Amino acid sequence: MARDRLGSFELNRRRWLELGITSALAAWLPGARLNAQSAPQSCAPSIPQNHEPSNGGPCPYPIPWLDKNGNHNQAAMPNVELSSIYHFKGKLARCSGFHGMGTDNKGNRLAWGTPTTDYSYMAGEYWAARQPHQAVFAHT
Amino acid sequence: MPSTGLTFSADGKTATLQMANVPIIDQPRWPAVDAETTPAFLDFKLVFTATDEPVNYENAMQQYRFEGFKAKAQLEATTRVPLIDFTFKTDPLETSKCDFAVMGDEVNGRYYEPSRG
Repeated sequence: MARDRLGSFELNRRRWLELGITSALAAWLPGARLNAQSAPQSCAPSIPQNHEPSNGGPCPYPIPWLDKNGNHNQAAMPNVELSSIYHFKGKLARCSGFHGMGTDNKGNRLAWGTPTTDYSYMAGEYWAARQPHQAVFAHT
Repeated sequence: MPSTGLTFSADGKTATLQMANVPIIDQPRWPAVDAETTPAFLDFKLVFTATDEPVNYENAMQQYRFEGFKAKAQLEATTRVPLIDFTFKTDPLETSKCDFAVMGDEVNGRYYEPSRG
């Protein structure tokens, strides 16, 4: 998701941390865990004991043709898959191309945003480990 | 994220995503493979407001359908990098602009059924 790559901005260090921020926020209902940078490890499939069946973990599936690692998606634009999760139904919003101004703690006025500064939310049901899960996700 | 971080207006046309003290990283040299990181925190408020212009993106081969509306999206945020005593606060929400935004409903994968006609 952190598609904020070195671009043409003139501000050479901070750019509102934009070049370096990667945070995919996922929390589970119930549980309300907040996780940054990557999906929570707790949803990894466990090793079955006593010959119990193994149906995988409850981590959401990434979009298969977009990113085999499940961390990135594609820039929001018309007529593309906007979801970051495969086997999903629910509410979704995407936006990209933010830009604005701000001020750092030394009083410097800095521009922020690039064409790939994007945010999203997804709220609904996804399918994993052969069962539905309810969750709300945000992408910053 | 906590479900309380995402709220909708009664008519469903406005969605507000708001979180505080989100742990993030500052990684100015990303995507260099040896890019160093510094812990940081993010507070943000993001507001989507739907327009009256509908959109429908569907691809049966890739098994997805998004139905919704074009939207306006505005953002205000504060970032903090305590180890280097750096903070940055954006101007108020109303001053930000976004080139592309949509909000609506999505189905994909096993939940997808092709539209008729």
